[in-house]
Amino acid sequence: MTARSLPSNRRDSLARQILEVGGRWGAHAALVIGIVAIFLPLVLTLYISFFDETLVTFPPRGYTLNWYARIPEEFGKPIWTSLRIAVVAVFFALLVGVPAGIGLSRYRFPGRGLISTLLLAPLTVPGIAMGLGIYVFAIWVQLSFGMRLAGSLGLMILAHLLITLPWVVRLCLASLTNHDRSTEDAAASLGASPLMVIWRVTLPAMVPGIVAGGLFAFIVSFENLEMTIFLINPGTNTLPNAVLQHLTYSTDPLIAAVAVIQMAIVGAALLLLDRLVRLDQVAS
Amino acid sequence: MSDAIISGRRSRQLGGTVLLAPATLVVLIMLAAPLALLVRYSFNRFSPTDLMIAAVTPENYVRFFTDPFYLEVMRTTIGVALLSTVLCLILGLPIGWRLSRMRPPWRGIFIFAMIMPLFVSSTVRALGWMILFARGGVLDLGSSYFFQRHFEMQFSSTGVVIGIVSANLPYMVLMAQSVFAGIDDRLSEAARGLGAAPVRAFWRVIWPLAIPGIAIATIMCLILGMNAYATPILLGGPRFQMMAPLVYWEFGTNNNWPFASALAFVLMATTLLLAVVAHTLVPRRYRA
Repeated sequence: MTARSLPSNRRDSLARQILEVGGRWGAHAALVIGIVAIFLPLVLTLYISFFDETLVTFPPRGYTLNWYARIPEEFGKPIWTSLRIAVVAVFFALLVGVPAGIGLSRYRFPGRGLISTLLLAPLTVPGIAMGLGIYVFAIWVQLSFGMRLAGSLGLMILAHLLITLPWVVRLCLASLTNHDRSTEDAAASLGASPLMVIWRVTLPAMVPGIVAGGLFAFIVSFENLEMTIFLINPGTNTLPNAVLQHLTYSTDPLIAAVAVIQMAIVGAALLLLDRLVRLDQVAS
Repeated sequence: MSDAIISGRRSRQLGGTVLLAPATLVVLIMLAAPLALLVRYSFNRFSPTDLMIAAVTPENYVRFFTDPFYLEVMRTTIGVALLSTVLCLILGLPIGWRLSRMRPPWRGIFIFAMIMPLFVSSTVRALGWMILFARGGVLDLGSSYFFQRHFEMQFSSTGVVIGIVSANLPYMVLMAQSVFAGIDDRLSEAARGLGAAPVRAFWRVIWPLAIPGIAIATIMCLILGMNAYATPILLGGPRFQMMAPLVYWEFGTNNNWPFASALAFVLMATTLLLAVVAHTLVPRRYRA
């Protein structure tokens, strides 16, 4: 402000002003392009899903909700498979992940950093490598011990347990960072056993984190493609893979409707999550 | 007294083990063991009749690094990942900045709108672009109507880069908004009070504080770009090749597990290398 009002600095301030205005317009342009890049495909998908046409043609004859009605018959099976896998995987992820979250937040021990890195690793290891690895490992176990694993729903659920676990651990850890340990000490000094302390004091304090972790885990499992494609057999096709297969030969309003349903499920889960945790801090 | 302390420590150790062992076992069995087996298999030999023969040979890696086709696929993959990451930076930072300075109801709505696409499957996000770019898609129909000419994407990588930017941009936006939101407005006010123009105040005061967070988001975008699977398949056309689909192809269609394993490791190693390079590009004093 002061620099701009001084006459000796006028030329300098003009250059600055140009730079500033240019910068502001550049930022505006980036804002518009970025928002379009993120939302245009989603909005277009929503729009196409109402087309009363068998293929995407402009302008459409009219608009209809019929494609949504046909989803159960065309995609009912993969949706059901994906839901089943997600629900069971989330159940086990909570069973294993909630104690791990408590353990990591409560104890300081050598190797704690290593264990926490290990538990969060499935977030950064590429899905392709995990899928290929799990498949060949299942075949190896099958050949070595005679357990039939490859192509089974059990293996798929175990694999989804792996990718959902870090979300549960992370959200549980986050829910305990501001947890006051003195209430646990009080319960213990009044004679509660360690298990009782966890059950009556720690877990109730963690409920928002547990529910949030479970919801994130559900979304991540329900939408996973890259790892899952290695583990699918014809009997257990998941929704994202069914969508991919359909898209490789046809882009039509039906598949757009399926995509909208997927967005709606994710959106609903995230709306619930928004009430439990600060989404911007835990989602990325 | 000391007995009580020791038994307390022992029971604590026991408690920690009981709580952490199941999760650790899951990751060791489902992640560490499979990856270790992949390393082993990548040194095996492939035969069209017996599929895999136990061996210790570097031939899969030699094949990758001597065949111009595979090197070209790797070059494409790195190029697409780098370009999409740079575009995410250019577009994501201004959006993140604006979000961080928005008023409460809008800020929450926009943040929610950014998070939603992150969790939707990559196939769903590619679909919108397919409707736009494909033959018979929106742009094609518009171009045929107005110019009597079919719309054709100049390079098949263009669509893939657009698709990947569209998918990864929310990561950058969210990270940028969270680091910018953590920076006190009074800092830039102080800089401007001392005579710095807003642009200068941004680069000298706010940017250095934001670098560590932005670096994390950049590395995330690089990793996701390098390993993109559905986007190149759906938006790149039949002849376009990137590494992740190639791994699946070698595994699913050729049944060549040793080579698929080697490809997966080359991809992981290259991704890691890029992440490390990106990390070292950040001046030491700004690292997280």
